[in-house]
Amino acid sequence: MSNEIVVEGKYKVLKDRYYTETDEWITIENNVAKVGITDYAQKKLRDIVGVDLPQPGREVKAGEQVATVESVKAAADIYSPLSGKITEANEELVTSPELINKEPYGAGWIFKLEISDPKEIEKLLNYEQYINTIKKREGL
Amino acid sequence: MFSSPLLDIEIKLNADIGEFAGWQMPMKYISYQDEHMAVRTSCAFFDLSHMGRLRIKGKNDELDKLVAKDINKEKEGKMIGPTAFLNDRGGFEDDVMLYKVKEDEFLVVTNAINREKIISWIKKNSSLDVQDLTFDLAMIAIQGRNVWNFVEKVDLQPLEFRLNTKFMSEDVFLLSRSGWTGEDGVELWGPPETLSRLITKLVNLGVKPAGLITRDSLRQEMGFVLYGEDIDSTTTPIEARYWVFSLEKEFIGRDKILEQLKNGVDKIRIGFKGKKNERILPRRDNSFKVLGTQVGYVTSSTYSPYLSRVIGMGYIKSSHLYLGFNLNIDVRGKLIDVKISDFPLVK
Repeated sequence: MSNEIVVEGKYKVLKDRYYTETDEWITIENNVAKVGITDYAQKKLRDIVGVDLPQPGREVKAGEQVATVESVKAAADIYSPLSGKITEANEELVTSPELINKEPYGAGWIFKLEISDPKEIEKLLNYEQYINTIKKREGL
Repeated sequence: MFSSPLLDIEIKLNADIGEFAGWQMPMKYISYQDEHMAVRTSCAFFDLSHMGRLRIKGKNDELDKLVAKDINKEKEGKMIGPTAFLNDRGGFEDDVMLYKVKEDEFLVVTNAINREKIISWIKKNSSLDVQDLTFDLAMIAIQGRNVWNFVEKVDLQPLEFRLNTKFMSEDVFLLSRSGWTGEDGVELWGPPETLSRLITKLVNLGVKPAGLITRDSLRQEMGFVLYGEDIDSTTTPIEARYWVFSLEKEFIGRDKILEQLKNGVDKIRIGFKGKKNERILPRRDNSFKVLGTQVGYVTSSTYSPYLSRVIGMGYIKSSHLYLGFNLNIDVRGKLIDVKISDFPLVK
């Protein structure tokens, strides 16, 4: 079965990850979360020209603003989906922020975080819930 | 909401459609940066069907009073070029492209947001007959440094146009040697079916489709103003340094312009360039700051693919027009360095 679902012929959603209401995606491996923004978010922002990345080592709470994505259209705040410590930021985005447009679920990841409260994972959205979130916003 | 009559073919070309000035238009295709560089190094085409296209008939002298430039000087079949309709406070009702078809007949391109306002304004201030051609004809621009390698060379000098002519074997209503990108090229008005066929021909020749985001970054590099962003009914041509008037004649707003020329202006439009690797984009209304004091504000900004820098424009107190000086823009509390620069921002 394919991992990919395309909503309204436009927005890719992958089944193998968690999501937030604020359009972040999350994969989790060995208590480390990798976070990026969804295909829906990058399409809405259009051309991304810059990213303000979080400093590794920073302790953050779930829902805290940690990064900013700059597009020609707007500046979008990126929130940490979980509490923990930032372990890595994707430095490739400093010179190639357009990676978020090209590969939002792959090379365009934004930061990694060591999870401090695994119980918070239950509050994240699964792909079906996220698809419904998109549909609601698009008035479908 | 209106939509471009060319949307069908543009969707087939993978256009990312968005809203601009009440119109559904292609905002970009794959990447505005690639489209932008296509214009600066090669060639691309734009859909401009959202722009207002008006035919004005009536006494030459009547229109002359409404327009800031002298329209009597130009010969028939000449593009009078960018000019403006001003209000009695010297502010822009609209900045327009004006073509003189013949004595007592003109064509005007208005900004999309001002189309209806300008039709009413002309009718209120004159007995001229205004015909709105916007919905009968589509409009495209083909622009680029190598435009003539892709399309046939047109038999036109800059600032000229032809009506009811042929372009690449298609019958077009208007063909004009003009654009808004800083590169050579043409603008065309024609029936949507004709321009759709022309788009197919262009794509087959390797001309890239480009969207309005690209048009915005190209015009900012050149320092061209966009109505609603950089000028509006409260800004004057002097403040905007937009030399679209002839003082030798009468026109609405002339008194204010004379007064400002004599007494000076408080604010004046300037450009700016960011540092290499600075990727935070200033936004409209962000403050220019010198040593922490606000001295102006941003009206447009983007990331220039050609310069690989943040660029933009805004208004600064005329007492603080420190060309070449690095001042700060306050972007959401973060101060970024930009150099105050004159136009064009690319040479």
